[in-house]
Amino acid sequence: MFTLGVDIGSTTSKAVILKDGLEILATSLIKAGTGTDGPGRAIEAVLAEGNLRPEEIASVYATGYGRKLLKNANGEMSELSCHARGVHHLLPEVRTIIDIGGQDAKVLSLGTDGRMTEFLMNDKCAAGTGRFLDVMAGILQLRIEDLEKQADLSKQIVKISSTCTVFAESEVISQLANGVEIPDLVAGICQSVASRVAALAKRVGVKETVCMSGGVAKNGGVRKAMEQELGLNITYSPMAQLMGALGAALYAYDKS
Amino acid sequence: MGEGEKKPKFAVDPNSAKFKLNEIVAKHYKEVQEAKDRGEKIGWCASNFPQEIFQTLGIKVCYPENQAAAIAARGAGQRLCEISEAEGYSNDICAYARISLAHMMVGETPEQNMPLPDFVLCCNNICNCMIKWYENIAKELNIPLILIDIPFNPDYEVSDAQVAYVKSQFLAAIEQLEEITGKKWSDEKFKEIMEISNRTSRAWLEATAYTKYTPSPLNGFDLLNHMAVAVCARGTVEAAEAFETLLEEYKKAVEEGTSTFRAEEKYRIMFEGIACWPHLRTTATGLKSRGINMVATIYADAFGFIYDDFDGLIRAYCNVPNAMNLEHARDKREAIVKNTNTEGLLVHTNRSCKLWSGFMYEMSRQIGEDCQIPVTSFDGDQADPRNFSEAQYETRVQGLTEIMESNKGGKD
Amino acid sequence: MATLNELLENFHDIACSPKKQLNAYLKQGKKVVACVPVYTPGELIHSMGLVPMGAWGADIELKESKRYFPAFICSIMQSILELGIRGEYKGISAIVIPSLCDSLKCLGQNWKYAVKDISFIPMTYPQNRKPESGKEFTKASYERVIRDLEAATGEKFSEDSLAKSNEIYNEHNAAMRKLTEVLEQHPSITAVQRRDIFKSAHFMLKEEHTALVSQLIEALSQVEEKKSKIKVITTGILADSDGLLKIFDEHGLQIAADDVAHESRQYRTDVNLELEPLEGLADKFSRMDHCSVLFDPEKKRAGYIVDLAKKYKAKGVVVLLTKFCDPEEFDYVMVKKACAEAGIPIIQIEVDRQMVNYEQAGTMMEAFIDML
Repeated sequence: MFTLGVDIGSTTSKAVILKDGLEILATSLIKAGTGTDGPGRAIEAVLAEGNLRPEEIASVYATGYGRKLLKNANGEMSELSCHARGVHHLLPEVRTIIDIGGQDAKVLSLGTDGRMTEFLMNDKCAAGTGRFLDVMAGILQLRIEDLEKQADLSKQIVKISSTCTVFAESEVISQLANGVEIPDLVAGICQSVASRVAALAKRVGVKETVCMSGGVAKNGGVRKAMEQELGLNITYSPMAQLMGALGAALYAYDKS
Repeated sequence: MGEGEKKPKFAVDPNSAKFKLNEIVAKHYKEVQEAKDRGEKIGWCASNFPQEIFQTLGIKVCYPENQAAAIAARGAGQRLCEISEAEGYSNDICAYARISLAHMMVGETPEQNMPLPDFVLCCNNICNCMIKWYENIAKELNIPLILIDIPFNPDYEVSDAQVAYVKSQFLAAIEQLEEITGKKWSDEKFKEIMEISNRTSRAWLEATAYTKYTPSPLNGFDLLNHMAVAVCARGTVEAAEAFETLLEEYKKAVEEGTSTFRAEEKYRIMFEGIACWPHLRTTATGLKSRGINMVATIYADAFGFIYDDFDGLIRAYCNVPNAMNLEHARDKREAIVKNTNTEGLLVHTNRSCKLWSGFMYEMSRQIGEDCQIPVTSFDGDQADPRNFSEAQYETRVQGLTEIMESNKGGKD
Repeated sequence: MATLNELLENFHDIACSPKKQLNAYLKQGKKVVACVPVYTPGELIHSMGLVPMGAWGADIELKESKRYFPAFICSIMQSILELGIRGEYKGISAIVIPSLCDSLKCLGQNWKYAVKDISFIPMTYPQNRKPESGKEFTKASYERVIRDLEAATGEKFSEDSLAKSNEIYNEHNAAMRKLTEVLEQHPSITAVQRRDIFKSAHFMLKEEHTALVSQLIEALSQVEEKKSKIKVITTGILADSDGLLKIFDEHGLQIAADDVAHESRQYRTDVNLELEPLEGLADKFSRMDHCSVLFDPEKKRAGYIVDLAKKYKAKGVVVLLTKFCDPEEFDYVMVKKACAEAGIPIIQIEVDRQMVNYEQAGTMMEAFIDML
C-alpha cells in the first residue's frame, strides 16, 4: 500500500511516498511553498520518481503551514506531530529534535514511544532562524550553501553578540570594516544562530539523543556550533527537510 | 563594586578615596559572608530600601542589584541570563533579575559571589519589577519577604496619606525583622545611624556637585562606581569618611587644575539612565575619545538622603528618582543641567528597565527644549550584553557631538 | 424575551463597538470615564452617575505612541495611548489609570502630554493592601479619585450612592461567576462568543449587563448539549483576539474557566456591604488575590490555576502571555512548575495586539492538543 505525505512550508514544498508504512519509495523537494504551484509540483515530482499514478496512492496526508489548502488530502496533522513521527521512524533513539526552519525555530521533546511530550517555538524574531543566515549571507555576498565551507576554514571565531538581527547586521558590517577574516565571521554567525536556538532547547530540557532537522540543519557550521553550545553530539539525517512529509505519510498509513 | 576587570598597574594610594571606597565594598561582601558562616540570618536587600532599619538592628544584608552590575561588568551577564532563561524566565525581564535568579539557582558565582539569603527586603520605590523578582526568590527559597511599598507618586509633593502608609510599613518592617533575627531595635542607635547616614549623604552631594566646575575635576563615569558605596554603606562612618576624602580630593583638583577625566574636556553632557555595565569600557571610550565628559547624572541627587527627622526620612525615601512624576523628575534634572553647564543629553534607553525608559522620550524632549540642549538616545542594557550595538552607539554619540560643536560655534 | 442567538449577537455588537456605546451614553446626557487595566474603582465612578468604560486598547497599528513609548512596552499600553492620540476617546470626561505595574505608571505620565484634552486621574493602589495602613491608603487614594472626578465632571460623590453601586457591582460579580458555571456546561458557546459576553461588560453600565447575562443564563438553561469539547483553562491579561479565539473553536477546545485579567479576575471579590461604603470598597481591594499585579510572596496564583483546572476537569492550561508583560512573565515560571507537579499539560502562547498571523499559534495549539 502506498501513502503520500505532503509538507507545505513557507518557502518549500516536500513530498514522500511510503510503501506499506515502512519503506520510503520516493521523495521530492520544490523551492516554492504555500500559495504557489510548489505543492502541486512536489506531488508531481514524487509520483514521477516513484513511478506511480495518483490513483495508486491509498491515502494522502498534508502538513505544514499550507496544509489546509491541499485539495484531495484525506487528512492533515500538525507539522510538529509529523516531524516527531518522521524522526522517530528513521532515528528511534532520538529524544530531542531541534528544527531550524526558514521562518522559525522549534524544539520538540519525545518520549520513548516517539510521541511528543513537550515543545517550544520561537516565531517572533528572525534571529535564530534561516532568515538570519539569509540576511548575513547577503551582507557577506555568499550563497547559503557556501556558509558551511567558510565556517570550516575558521581559525578564530569572531563572536556576534547582539540578539537583535538588525544590531547583528551592523556588528557584521563593522567587523568586515575591521578587516576580520570571512571564515571567522561566518563561524560567528553560525554560533549566533546555534546559541539562540540552544537557549530555546534548554528551556524544554535537552535529552539525548539530540537530532537537528529543518533546512538550516544542512549547514554543518550551525550543527557544529550547536554541539558546542549543548556540549554533546548531534545526530543529523540528510532527510532532515523531509521529516514532516515522512511523518504525514506515516499518519496516512495509520489512518487508512 | 569597583572596576574589578583587571588588577591596577600601580598600587592605589591607601589614603585615597578610591582605595577607601573599594575597601568598603570588599568589606561589605566579606562581612555578610562571615555573618552567614557564623549562622546569623542575612538578607538580600533592594538598593533603595531604608538602610537605617537594618543598620540600627545590626543586621547584615547584601544587594542583588550591585551584584548583578558587577557580574555584568565582569563579563558574565550572558552566562547567568542564559541560566534563568533556561528555567523559563523571559529575556524581556530585567537583566538584574535574571542574573540574580540565576545566582539563586546555582548558589555560587565567582565573578561576584554572595551568600543566599534568609529573608529578602524589598522596596519598590525604584520599580515594581523588584516586587515580582523578590516574590519569586522568597517562594523558591521559602523565606520571608518584607516589602515596604512606596507607591509611584503622581503628584509633585509627597502626600500625608503616603507618608502615613510608608511610616506604618517602616515600623512593621522593624517588628518583622526583630522576629526573624532576634535582634532588638534601639531608638538611640537609630538616631546615631540617621546622623551618620545624613553625614554620608551630605558628603556625597557635596562631592558630586564638584562637576559644576569647568573643566570638571572628575570623570563623571567614576561616580557610577562610587555609587556602590552610596547604596551599600550609607549608614557607616567609613562611607562618610570615604566620601569626605573624595570631596577633599575634588577640592584639591579644582585648586590645582587637575582631573580624573584624562583628556581635554571639550563637551559636557548629562548621561541619563543606568550605566551600560557590560559595555562600560566601550561607552566610556566613545565619550572620552571625543572629549565628552559626563558632568551631570541624576545619581548625584539620588543618594542624597537628607532629613531632619523620621518624617523627613520617610519623605526622602518617597522621593527617589524613579518614584517621582515626570514634572518632578524633569525639574530635578534641569536644575542639575543648569548648575553644571551641561551642553547635551545622552539617554541610555535601557532594555531592562521599563519604568526608567517608559516616559523618558517625553521627559528628555522637555529637558532639551527647556534647557536648549541637543538630546540623543542609544539602545543598551544595564546587564544583558546582547542588547547593545557599538555601531549604533558611535553613530548616536557622533551625531550629538556634531550638534554640540555647531552650537558652540554659534555661541562664540 | 430575546432568543439565545439574539442575545449572543447583541453581546457581539456591543463588544465590537465601544465607540457606539460611548456615543449612545453621551447622547443620553451621561458622562463617561475610561478605566484602564488592571483594576479601577468602577463602583465609585458608577456611584457618581458616571459610566465607567473599560479601555484595554485595541488591535491597531502603532504609530503615534512610538513618540512616547519604546518598543518594549506592552501593546495594551501602547494601543491605549495610540487611541487617545488619534482622538478615539473623544467625549470621555477623564481616564483613570492605576499604577499597578511599571508600564501603567508610564502610561499615566505620557498621557498628560500626549492627550491633553482628557484628564488623567491616577489611582494609586497600595501593594501592601491587606494591613490596616494599606486599607487606609487605598481609601485615601479613592478620595483623591473622587476629588479629581468631581473636578473633571462636576458630579458629586455621596456614600449613599456608593452603597447602591457596591450592591449593583456585587450583583454583577455574582452573575458573572454564575455565567462561568453555566458556560462550562455549554460547550456549544464558542470561544469568540464567550469573549463577547465578557468584553461587553466593560462597555456597559453593570446593571444593564447583569440583565442581559441573566437572560442569557435563562436561555441557555433551555439548551441541551449534544457534543463535548476538550476543556482548557486560559490565563493571562487578555484573551481578546479573534484570530486566536477562532483557533480554540476550530480545534474543538472549550474554555471551561479563565484566570484572565480582562475576564474573571474582575469578578472574584465582592464588597462587604456591612462596612461603610468607601471603607468597604477599600476592604474589597485588600481581599483581592491571585493576580500578577497583586503582591503575593506565596505566589498562590499558581495553585489557584491548578485548582481551577482540577475543579472543571480541564485537560490543560493555555497561558496567553501578553508580550512584554513582566508581571505575567515572572509568574509564568511558578505557574509552569505548579502545573508540572500536578501533571497538568501547559502551553504558553505569546500574544500582542499587533498580531495578524496566527498560523504558528494554530500549529502550537494543534501540537498541544495532540499531547493532551
